[in-house]
This record gives sequence, structure tokens and C-alpha cells, in this order.
Amino acid sequence: MSSDTIAVIGGGPGGLRAARGIAEIGGSAVLIEQREFLGGTPIAENYAGLTPHNEPAEAAMRRMAEAVTSHPAVQVRLGTQVVAAEGEAGAFTLTLRGPDGREQVGCGAIVLATGFGHFDPGRETQMYGYYEFPDVIALQDLEAMLKVHNVVRPSNGQPPERVCFVQCVGSRDRQIGNEYCSKVCCGVASKEAIEVRQLLPDSKVFIFYIDMRMYGFWESQIYWPAQEQHHVQYIKGIITEVLPTKDGRLLVRGEDTTMGRPMEVPMDLVVLSVGMEPSPGTRAMARLLGVKQDKYGFIHAPGGPLDPVSTDREGIYACGAALGPADLEDTVSSAANAALRAVAYVRSRSLSAAG
Amino acid sequence: MTMTDAHYKAPQVAGYADVPLEEKQRLFAEVKNDIRFADYLYGCYECGICVAACPSARFYDFSPRRIAQAAAREDVELFYQQMQEDIWECSQCFSCLRCPRGNNPGGIITIMREVAVGNGLASAREALKAYSRIIYKIMSTGTQVSPDMLQPDAFPDWGPETSDVSAHLDLWRRALPPETLHTTSTGWAVADKTLIELYLIWHHTGALDMIADVDPGLHAILAEVMEERLEEEGIEL
Repeated sequence: MSSDTIAVIGGGPGGLRAARGIAEIGGSAVLIEQREFLGGTPIAENYAGLTPHNEPAEAAMRRMAEAVTSHPAVQVRLGTQVVAAEGEAGAFTLTLRGPDGREQVGCGAIVLATGFGHFDPGRETQMYGYYEFPDVIALQDLEAMLKVHNVVRPSNGQPPERVCFVQCVGSRDRQIGNEYCSKVCCGVASKEAIEVRQLLPDSKVFIFYIDMRMYGFWESQIYWPAQEQHHVQYIKGIITEVLPTKDGRLLVRGEDTTMGRPMEVPMDLVVLSVGMEPSPGTRAMARLLGVKQDKYGFIHAPGGPLDPVSTDREGIYACGAALGPADLEDTVSSAANAALRAVAYVRSRSLSAAG
Repeated sequence: MTMTDAHYKAPQVAGYADVPLEEKQRLFAEVKNDIRFADYLYGCYECGICVAACPSARFYDFSPRRIAQAAAREDVELFYQQMQEDIWECSQCFSCLRCPRGNNPGGIITIMREVAVGNGLASAREALKAYSRIIYKIMSTGTQVSPDMLQPDAFPDWGPETSDVSAHLDLWRRALPPETLHTTSTGWAVADKTLIELYLIWHHTGALDMIADVDPGLHAILAEVMEERLEEEGIEL
């Protein structure tokens, strides 16, 4: 028996946009989120502000979530996982395990909005010492500090005088296997650098990079202001190693390539700009639904650039960072695309069934 | 402390005396606090378009990019080195103005040169040594080159006509239609009123003081000429 309901798996920005989109054009959705709350990674990882415009993440995600929870055509299942899937396009049956036990949901199409995870810097092939030095942190760790307006060195609770970001950690690296650019880290690091400079006006902030990839409007929205108004120092040259100094600071080693000289400079706080990887949920749902993954584990979209949301299984669409590195604009755009495609699919099935 | 510290440069091998870090910071601050600085340096892509456009970069180990970078990074060590060396290799042609970020490395060099001259840096003395006659001329007469400076012995490669002209220089000059050119010791006749105004400008803008350190002898002569002339006009400094 075919169903007009569309299951959206994942309650982050992509899943929220997809569920809302389905409801807005007259469909009905069930939104399944394994966490106890909506909002996805921006909430789970304590993002302070969204890139590029730095709107507080909590308020923005609450707004998106309320548009979904207040809509009668969307049912939300929190703390719920998909544990089994049967059937074919037009008549899938998902088995959910939630706070009230097991439940079966019929749906005609599925939107995967299972997102990304931050690259684990313990896997990097340089020697940054994320798990060794307390003052080596990652982008999301700094986000959490910025959220409470208190940026300090974890080792001693003191505000740092010298802060650096190391770009492309876990991205663009054949050794690690992540050959792709994670798209957002240049912008996120620059946004955070601006916030650090605002919060600690006496601090010196450096960004060590391979290429700055501030595409489109991010150039004038983040990059130029960071450099021109907030005096963030961009140094082309990647750090190979972080070493402890006798006075309890960190020494970063690299090459200042455009100046043509090696550098060894002391830092108080080193921020690793970790890239995106498929989230465990993305990998698990791909396996469960039998959807093909690319070599990195993201959902494969065989349709190419003009059909970026179709998976290799009929009736199953994906959006946002489940498909690969994506910023918020990419995510909500592909989510709306996936919503449209899913609704169109179940309607075409109903019409042919009625016909 | 900037990106470098002094680790990569051994000051004793440089062709100029090293000075304490505080002095370098003071010189950098003087450049940075110049009212023009904010319009000359925004942010640097380090793209090298200024170097590609720069004629001096083809002949010297000179890079307008490095000038912009040193200033942007507040690398006072490199900045000081540049004030002692690089800035005098710039021809001030401003080809570097094609910068996509709107920077003006040549303009930064203008300020750096002014600060180098004003602080009597060794490089400024060296660079201006050959120009004392021109500085004397322009500050005492208001014109840079006068006909009587163009003597055949000074310019043997100018050919035989030069000696004919210089032998009857006064006559040739009188043959020129505008009366203001009937002079040989200045490029054109400079009115007394103009000269007094110029002297007051040199004095009040600090232009005269700027050369006190780079060429004390020249400064003394000019000061004497100017004071005498101003006194005649009843102006006391």
C-alpha cells in the first residue's frame, strides 16, 4: 500500500528545512531525530554564531524548529532511531525505536538529512597534539567558548595573547583519505578569528592556510573585514608540528611561504580547523537503506550537478552535508530541492494509482 | 613580536647599524600613524600583481608585495630592514596601484622615505648624498634645475652644441620670448613674494628640519639663506 507521507531522517538545518518544505506545499512529513532536541550539529556542538552573518545559532535553529513543530502536517519523533527498513519506493516501512518503544511508519519517499561530523583531530597525520596539549582545540571547541563570551586557554583559564588557526585539518589530504575541501572552514575560522579579536582586542590572531577559499560573498562579508578591520594575520603556509615550550606555551612550526622563510612562533591557543566527514548517522542510514555511498562515505548522488539530491535508490533523496561538505546555504537549498522531489514523487505515485 | 623576531636575520652582517627593537617599533609607529597609511594599506592577498607590474623588481631584489606584507604583519624587524635598504630601490612610478585590494605599496614607501629622512636614517643620508645640489637649488630658489647647472664639463656626452650654448647662455636665455625665462641661475624668475612663501612653507611644514639630520652642512647653509631673506622682510622665526 502506497503512502503519501514522507520520512525525513535528521533534525538539523537540512531536515528542518525539508520537513517544513514538504508541509508548505501540502505534503505530510514525519521528522525522525535521534537526539532529544532539534537543531542538529549547530546545537549539539554549541555553535555560537552561524557563518557568515554570525546570527546566534540557538535563536536561528529555534526559529527553524518552531516552524516545523507548529505545523500540523509534520509529526516529530525525538530520541528516535530508524532500526529497520522494508519495502520499495512508494511503500517503505520504517521501524523506529523511540522513547515509547518500537513503532512502524509507512512512507512513500525518504529524505536523508543526516549531516556531517567534525573530523577527529586525533586522526590527523601532522603532529598537532589535540589530545596531548590542552591549548590545542578545534573550531567547535572555540565556538563553545565564544557562545559564553569567554575565550581562555584551557590549561590555565587565562585569556590567550596569541591565537592561531590551522586550516585544512582532515581535509585535502591524501594521507588521511579526505581529498575534498570541506568548504566552510575558511569562513568559519575567519568568523571566529573576528570574534576573538573583538572579545580580546589585545590579542594577535593568525590563520595559517593552504588556499583561502572564501567563495562568493564570503570574500567581502568575512575575509576582507577580518583582514582590514580586525587585523587578523593570514599566513600562507601550513603548520607541520606543535611543540610545547618551557614557559608553557605552544610553538608552531611551518613555512611562511610568501615571505620565503621558515617560521617557529609561540602561540597561547592553537585552533585546528577540522573539516567535515560523514556523520555516523549518515553512514548507518546509507547501510540500512541500501543507498550507495561515495568513497568518503557521503551519500552518492549519481545525477551530477543538475540533480544533486537523488540517490541511487528510487524514492530516496538526500540533502545538506549528508551529500558532502556543505554550508548552510547549500544545506537549506538542497533540502528544499529534496522536499520538492519527494513530494512530486509520492504525488505521481498516487495519481498513477488513482488513474 | 611579529611573525619573525630576529631569528632569521643576523644584524651584524647588514650594511647598516642595528638599533634596539624599541627604536624599530617607534619608526614603524610613525609610519603607521601617518594620516595616509590607512588609505594605502587595506589587506594583502600576497598575489604578487604589484611585483609583476613593478619595473624596479626586474632590476633589484625588490618587492612591493613584501613592503605591504611587512607593514600588514607589523613585522618591525623586516620593516626596519626595508627602510634601510628596499625603499630606495622604488622608482615611485606607482604601477603597483593596480592592486585588486586597492593597496598602494608605493605610497607606503613614500611615507617610509619621509620617516627615514626625518629620522636621519643612514640609508636616507646615503640616498640623498647625490642630491644635495638639487635640494639646495629647489629649497633656496624654488626651481630644481637652472640653466647654469648644465655645463658641458658636467655633461660631456651632450655633444659640441652644449659648449656653444653655455658660452653665451645669458644671450640665449634673453632670446626666449617669456620674460620670466631671462635668467640663468634659476629655471625661471621666481618672484620675491613666492620665494618668501616657499621659505615659510619649508619652515612651517618641517621640510627644512627633515634634512637637518641627513645633511647638516646643507641644512646650515639653507637656514642661513632663508633666515637672512625672511629678516629682510621683517619676519622673525
